Amino acid sequence: MKIKEDSYMKGFRIVAVIVIVCASLACLFPFLLIISASFTQNESIIREGYKLVPSVFSMEGYRTVFQFPKQVLDAYSVTVFTTIVGTTLGLFLMTMAGYVLQRRDFKYRNIFSFFIYFTTLFGGGLVPWYILITKYLKLTDTLTVLIYPGLMTPFLIILMKNFIRSAVPDEVVESAKIDGANDFTIYSRIVLQLSMPGIATVGLFLALHYWNDWFTSSLFINDTSKYQLQYYLYNVINTMSFIAGMGAGTGISLGQELPTESTKMAMSIIVTGPILLLYPFVQRYFVKGLTIGAVKG
Amino acid sequence: MLKRNGLLKEFKTNWLLFLMLLPTLLFFLLNSYTPMVGIYYAFTRFDFNTSLFNSQFVGLENFKFLWKSGVLLRLTFNTVGYNIVFIVLGNVLAIALAILLSELRLQWFKKLTQSILFLPYFVSFVILSVIVYNVFNYESGFLNSTLKQLGAEPVDVYNTPWVWIFLIIIFYLWKNVGYSMVIYLASITGISDEYYEAAKIDGANILQRIWYITIPMLKTTFVMLLLFALGSIMKGQFDLFYQLIGNNGMLYNTTDILDTYVYRSLKVTFDIGMSTAAGLYQSLFGFVLIMTVNYIIRRINDEYALF
Amino acid sequence: MRKAAKAVALLLSIILIVSSLAACSTKNEGNKGTGATAKPTDAPKATDAPNGEEPKTGIDTSKRVELQFYMLGNAPKDIDFIQSEINKMALEDLNATVKFNYTTWTDWDQKYKLLLGSGQQVDLIFTAEWTQYQSYAKRGAFLPIDDLLPVAAPVLNDFVPADMWEAVKIDGKIYTVPATYKEYVTDGFVWREDLRKKYDLPTPVDIPTFEQYLEGIKKNEPDMVPLSMNSDMKTNLSDRLRGISHDPIGAVGYGLGIRYESPTDVYPYWGSEEHLNDLVTLKRWQDNNYMVKNVLSVKDTLQDQITSGKAAALLGDNPTRYNDMVIKIQAAHPDWELGYHPFPMTNGIATPVHPIHNGFAIPASSNNAERALAFYEKMVTDKRYNLLTQYGVEGKNYEVKDGYYTMIGDSNSNGFPREAMNGWAWRNPEYMLFDKNYDGVKKIFDELDKIQVPDKFTGFAEDYSGYQAERAALEQVEKQYLYPLTAGLVKDVEKGLKEFMDKAKAAGLEKIQQEYTKQWLQYVQEQGIK
Repeated sequence: MKIKEDSYMKGFRIVAVIVIVCASLACLFPFLLIISASFTQNESIIREGYKLVPSVFSMEGYRTVFQFPKQVLDAYSVTVFTTIVGTTLGLFLMTMAGYVLQRRDFKYRNIFSFFIYFTTLFGGGLVPWYILITKYLKLTDTLTVLIYPGLMTPFLIILMKNFIRSAVPDEVVESAKIDGANDFTIYSRIVLQLSMPGIATVGLFLALHYWNDWFTSSLFINDTSKYQLQYYLYNVINTMSFIAGMGAGTGISLGQELPTESTKMAMSIIVTGPILLLYPFVQRYFVKGLTIGAVKG
Repeated sequence: MLKRNGLLKEFKTNWLLFLMLLPTLLFFLLNSYTPMVGIYYAFTRFDFNTSLFNSQFVGLENFKFLWKSGVLLRLTFNTVGYNIVFIVLGNVLAIALAILLSELRLQWFKKLTQSILFLPYFVSFVILSVIVYNVFNYESGFLNSTLKQLGAEPVDVYNTPWVWIFLIIIFYLWKNVGYSMVIYLASITGISDEYYEAAKIDGANILQRIWYITIPMLKTTFVMLLLFALGSIMKGQFDLFYQLIGNNGMLYNTTDILDTYVYRSLKVTFDIGMSTAAGLYQSLFGFVLIMTVNYIIRRINDEYALF
Repeated sequence: MRKAAKAVALLLSIILIVSSLAACSTKNEGNKGTGATAKPTDAPKATDAPNGEEPKTGIDTSKRVELQFYMLGNAPKDIDFIQSEINKMALEDLNATVKFNYTTWTDWDQKYKLLLGSGQQVDLIFTAEWTQYQSYAKRGAFLPIDDLLPVAAPVLNDFVPADMWEAVKIDGKIYTVPATYKEYVTDGFVWREDLRKKYDLPTPVDIPTFEQYLEGIKKNEPDMVPLSMNSDMKTNLSDRLRGISHDPIGAVGYGLGIRYESPTDVYPYWGSEEHLNDLVTLKRWQDNNYMVKNVLSVKDTLQDQITSGKAAALLGDNPTRYNDMVIKIQAAHPDWELGYHPFPMTNGIATPVHPIHNGFAIPASSNNAERALAFYEKMVTDKRYNLLTQYGVEGKNYEVKDGYYTMIGDSNSNGFPREAMNGWAWRNPEYMLFDKNYDGVKKIFDELDKIQVPDKFTGFAEDYSGYQAERAALEQVEKQYLYPLTAGLVKDVEKGLKEFMDKAKAAGLEKIQQEYTKQWLQYVQEQGIK
């Protein structure tokens, strides 16, 4: 299927490439600084600041992180587990919800959409939710508490609903119904396949949310072997800022060595690394939806 | 009565749909609606030894600190102002980048740049603030070192309030455009090729194709993103502001938002009532705004409205 | 619009139903809350343990409980092992096990609030004046343990001297068990001694000589920043300056000033001639480039700047941290030297740490108050518990050489460095082991002992519920208007000060100061402070 190219295309493409390259460089630059800093000796960072090329090369940051590999590995396994389980379960529930909500023949879809959306406007705040989880649901120190609150957000549900609506033409659904399929079959056979880009996007965001979550660990996990990766990183960084913030009056001298700048940077790379690989993986699904059968109007 | 009958009838015909929706509804009922009773905290004096409903009722007392320092108006203006710029610029840039990317043919280049553009989302603001400091600080920052080498005068970025309006916007865009871009890319992928082919046959050039096909198809996504952003318009981008500005009081006039103000004020007290009151103010503001905008959108086109 | 109205109506009814359900259950919780305070009076009745067990501690140990123990900071790597060892003993002694929980330093103050405010099961929690012990105690977050002590922890009761129990009383009741280890966290000048000698600069003993030292550094070491400072203007700059210049009785808040010698004379420091002079000094420091221009955005620790060689002097730090810096420098830069001059040597006010400084309390929500207190008694007074939780396992984590604590391996390979459980509160001076490096600090403490005077201020518990709103508003004004002034970044100091005072007054400064002064004077009178 040869498509005739017009003269505008070339100019357009050149402009596109230039813009994209510039944007990419801007995005890459700080990242390079972090990578460079993770390989720099700590003292020279404090003295001279960050540079694109380490002024004094050193692996001390990474060495400190891996001194006690058990903690890092624990955090990795916890995070990988919660990300996989949470994303799968969340996707399953959200795609169903999104599908139901976009069905034009579902009379109460607007009320339910509002019901879901309302939760983003109002909330009781941190304390009542904290009490709910610790006192009534008794989820402290469990893996469940790391998975359950993040399963779905109104944003992703509505996003899903929009993707499904634009990807699944009504005619396809109708013809399937005529063939005698019930709603669930339609959902699993047709909707899921047609909405691949949408599912990939929502899945990506959900996975990111789980991977980056540190807040639930901070509030509800006391068992150090159940910390999530980002929380582990935050602790390292925050121990530093705590010491910087508290005046001498607290008289605290910590028994451990304080983490250094280079350690912080090394940790950032270790924590972020794997998830960067997820996006290229997901890109595969950003393909045009397959139209099953020809339903030409 | 009418509602009850309608609901039952609907349930009977579409019971499977209800079932599919049920887990989601239960989730929100439990996770979001049950804690909502906590809003009552905003109106009570917090006490460790009594439960919420036995606490002393103090009316609007907890809201006082919001206006006592005289900055509420400015905070509201800053918060809303920044958010509007974020929304408009963010979406325009995201759409532009998504469109540009979707037109590229070289697969490896396309994939590589997509990933790179998405990278900043992973850089936490904590780390970003350190990098920013390293670039802009007066004595030894990257910017000033370069300026000095070129023989120019060093600039004091950290003590110049108006510059930060632009810097904050730039850093917000840097971090978040990748995220929105992915959403728009996925939407563009969903647009059927047939439309474009038909247009090309009719002689439309690339710009016309974008203007008449792509952009209208992205409208639903844009409106959805817009409405969500508006609902949180009074809530911050807390991390962004807190990490980049921190304790630098010289910059507060132009960069302080409600979230950072509340956070700082309430750091020194453990009164749950006051923090809930602040949250309530933010919610009410967003609620009124959303209801108005959604109503307007519904009048224009029923499909686009959120509910 | 009708549809939306329906939706809202439906929502409101849902909220109403849910909240009334929640109300029913929380009402029960409310009764529990008041029940907890009644507990101490129940305890004396249970001196005869049922089941014919030997009443070891005078409390009922028939039911096995798990105690939730909360401490700030990070847990040491070997915590699980230590916990199981402790539990072996605790099960035998008290029919109880304990779970050691650590809040980490991430959002620790928010977690502290949640732990106490949510009514969660917490049996023991750390307290200090910097965790706002006084305010929490006044608001009823902790259980009063006056009556519990003789019954559940008689040994502990005797171990802590009576004047310390007195000192931690808030409104006449004891809410925390203080640590008995005496130390000083007074401030002192820190500077690079090797540079001082090299350029023949004066020894800093007060502000003028300190300034001369800074000037000398600036002239001779252009790449170094003379003064190590960060964005915490109040604590690190303003309070320290006042500490050496104005003989304060303590860290008095809200811009009030009280001199050590005259507790009843409360004067407004903010906006005064004294304040103006200080600000002029600080502006001079900024204009002379002793501090970095962007000091308000610096997040590095003060100590890091010294040990990395970026800065040459520190306005004020305590002896222990000074010693830590010395040790750190010895390893990396043996040719550097640090000098220390404690403020008390200049102004004569050497106050040892107030008993409130490190303590452990029992939150009001605890169901196991007696057992918790008895367990804490073991932690402090029983040598096995104490050494295990302060230093780890002898032979594995540490050794005792010549009476000194010696760490096995280094801080990266050892799973329990010295005091890694952050056991500052349950230190027992009789069992304490010190690192040889600590001798430097001990020397300073000995010097300070010679001139020590009592801490008249830390025992004061402020009840700010009457001016909460103003207090929160004042925070904002301080950060926006006072911090830049303190950092010397405002060109016209007088005008800037006036602007700050105006805004502060608009936020309610005078109301706060009046209330606070009233409470303080009442406290002084009740305690008979001279």
